[in-house]
Amino acid sequence: MGANVRPAALHPRLAPKLAASAAALAVAGGAVACGGGTPASSAVVSVSNGGCGAGWKLAGPGWHTFQVYNAAAEGAEVDLVDPANGAIYAEVEALGPGTTSPMRLNVGSGSYEFRCLFEDADAITGPTVTVGGHARGTPAIVPVTRNDLFGPARTYHDWIAAGLGTLAGQTATLAADVRGGNLAKAKADWLTAHLTYERLGAAYDAFGDFDGQINGTAAGLDGGVSSPDWTGFYRLEYGLWHGQRARQLTGVANTLVSDVRGLRDAWPAMEIDLLDMGLRTHEILENALQFQLSGQDDYGSGTTLATVGANIDGTRELLTVLHPLLAPRYAGLAAVTTWLDRLASLLDKAKRPNGAWVPVSGLSTSLREQIDAATSQALEELSPIAVITEPRRT
Amino acid sequence: MPEPADPAPTGSVPSDSGPGDSGPGDSGPGDSGPGETGTPGAAEPARRRVFLLGGLGAGVAGAVAGAAGGYAYRATRAASAGQQARADAEAGGLPPVPFHGRYQAGILPPAARQTAVISFNATADGRGELIGLFRTITDRARFLTAGGTPPPAGIGGAPSDSGTLGPAVVPDGLTVTLGVGSTLFDERYGLSARLPARLTPMRTFPDDNLDPAQTGGDLVLQLSAGHPDTVMHALRDIARHTRGGMQAIWRMDGFTSPARPAGTVPRNQLGFMDGISNPDPASQAQMDELVWIQPGTAGEPAWTAGGSYFVVRLIRMLVEFWDRVDIAEQENMIGRRRATGYPLDSNAIHATPDFARDPSGAVIPLTSHIRLANPRTAKTGDSRILRRGYNYDRGIDDVGNLDIGLLFTCFQQDLKRQFEAVQTRLIGEPLVDYISPFGGGYFLALPGVRDGSDYLGRSLLAGTG
Repeated sequence: MGANVRPAALHPRLAPKLAASAAALAVAGGAVACGGGTPASSAVVSVSNGGCGAGWKLAGPGWHTFQVYNAAAEGAEVDLVDPANGAIYAEVEALGPGTTSPMRLNVGSGSYEFRCLFEDADAITGPTVTVGGHARGTPAIVPVTRNDLFGPARTYHDWIAAGLGTLAGQTATLAADVRGGNLAKAKADWLTAHLTYERLGAAYDAFGDFDGQINGTAAGLDGGVSSPDWTGFYRLEYGLWHGQRARQLTGVANTLVSDVRGLRDAWPAMEIDLLDMGLRTHEILENALQFQLSGQDDYGSGTTLATVGANIDGTRELLTVLHPLLAPRYAGLAAVTTWLDRLASLLDKAKRPNGAWVPVSGLSTSLREQIDAATSQALEELSPIAVITEPRRT
Repeated sequence: MPEPADPAPTGSVPSDSGPGDSGPGDSGPGDSGPGETGTPGAAEPARRRVFLLGGLGAGVAGAVAGAAGGYAYRATRAASAGQQARADAEAGGLPPVPFHGRYQAGILPPAARQTAVISFNATADGRGELIGLFRTITDRARFLTAGGTPPPAGIGGAPSDSGTLGPAVVPDGLTVTLGVGSTLFDERYGLSARLPARLTPMRTFPDDNLDPAQTGGDLVLQLSAGHPDTVMHALRDIARHTRGGMQAIWRMDGFTSPARPAGTVPRNQLGFMDGISNPDPASQAQMDELVWIQPGTAGEPAWTAGGSYFVVRLIRMLVEFWDRVDIAEQENMIGRRRATGYPLDSNAIHATPDFARDPSGAVIPLTSHIRLANPRTAKTGDSRILRRGYNYDRGIDDVGNLDIGLLFTCFQQDLKRQFEAVQTRLIGEPLVDYISPFGGGYFLALPGVRDGSDYLGRSLLAGTG
């Protein structure tokens, strides 16, 4: 639909592919009103090692789409920033040599400059353009740097180390129950230990191979629940709640103890990827929604709602360590708290009067809908955090 | 209450391309039926059976005319690249449907190519959050139906749009229709005094086989557009913005097919044209009599004026069984020719069947769907509904049969006088052996959104009615 429309000012070196995409954008911008109601403008901004957007202009406030073209021989990250504090209005990441990518934003009153980051080189900035008046535009966010994240990562690392110490003791108790044939106590101690682990927020390989050993499910194993390769909390849960005998489970329990010790001992040397902390603020509950609230990871104990509660705790710990970075950058932080609180209180409501947990299949339709809705809304509120706290070069 | 202007509604004819059919019925399958190719115009059906026994007899006698018939038309080669390009160029080409107005914009248009009906339970905590939910749905609908470029998220979050329609959202004729079910009027939101007079949970009819998990709901959304991607994009967008406020409980996607042959009426999955006869949406008088709740209607809270009762029925069609049934029996069940859509007593698709001239049902059986659904008498004129039927397809069932059927929807001024009256007439019709209503619900489609500061449900939530 508009492949024959060509923007007038395309850079001559632009590859055909780029021309097509620029054309599509121009059509989009021209034919359809943009959010701000002002017609969009589109202009090519060229960057290279020798200059970052030299000669670029802004006609005025409103929606603008810049076609950012990388004339250098290497990849670049290009940001449009506020010269006063380096806050980023918009960014194009991983812009390959000779390629163009659109950067779209609603320009408000303020100062703007392009900042180019080529590999292994200091940032270079281009000329500053100032838009006067009192127009509101896309707000800029001060980027989070690796330096900013070291402190929170250290705090989080220590918190996990402490949790793993606790966990080692709890799994030892659990294994002793099993060895001693006290399976009723083992069930109670299983839950205590499992929740401790879940509180640590081991979403998406946080603990490398240890997580699969300690908390893997039967999914993906040949033979499923009868696979001899299945180890860890869920394997033990399956046995305890499916009438398996203490003798059958002793090996499983002992293996769990040694795997937890292995993780505890390895942890001091394991690093936290700085990007991961932000990612995990929503990934922990993504997993909770997918596997716990669906009931999928219920191997018999009916405690997936308790797991979700532990996952909330783990999420809150991350929010706590990241709080100094988030508070000035994320206006939605209060809503995060609101929805996590609501979810936690719904989980409390779901317990039996004696405090026992109810499997999700035993919830009333209405309560289950409220829990799922609150989790989903919390996830929406959490999702910007990973983007905001992604470590960026400045 | 309005008398029908046209006492014998008779199929008058608006050839709205869509679906609606003649009467009402929900039973499903369209009512209209069409004739078989070979016999257009046959004035007298070769034989007639009493169909009250329905399926049993049919199965035995069914002759498989269809299976053996072969297809007269066969493509000799695949579509050319140019043909494909032209088809793609039409994608998203439908103009925007104006969102603001006295009525919701999705009610009167002919059935779109693609639709989805999604039922939700409200999870909003209290009236304030419920108003927030309705405002959000309104805002999203306003944007999605107009189209435009979603705002970039910058480094402040994930992209604001799923991107499934490309960088700019195309309107593609999208309509968003919101309805409320009777359960919304329980104690949670303090709305019990505003319950519409005719709004109840969906009644269970004797031929129904309702699954509670696919029946009812506090809210219903119908999203209709020119293409499946437009509908799905809208659903993802609205759901994303309303996660805490409502939770989807069941959903059915539907589609309509091109009219084949061109210029006729799209067919349902029984092979019959569906919706040949319908009230005329272009006639304000008919709509005021049959579709819109009028201001001052006895018993109705004032807020309902400009709304319309919205019935959704999920109707499985047992097409394997149906395909084993002789064509004459099929046509007698429907009352129309399968191939042409002609009423059995006529040679024109939009002709009004003359039941008065056929009091014993010698030509169009008394138990045929079109005759029961819309007897075309002065007495039954005000039971006509604005019918919109869509085909659905959701895979296979436990015995390997196709899980396909009809997503039946209809709008009316009075549920009991219209839909329920029609459906009651259809109880026990021979067709019931080949269809099985298993879900759906009764809703009230809200009055329209007047302007940019109005929102869906304002008269319900903020008014005093």
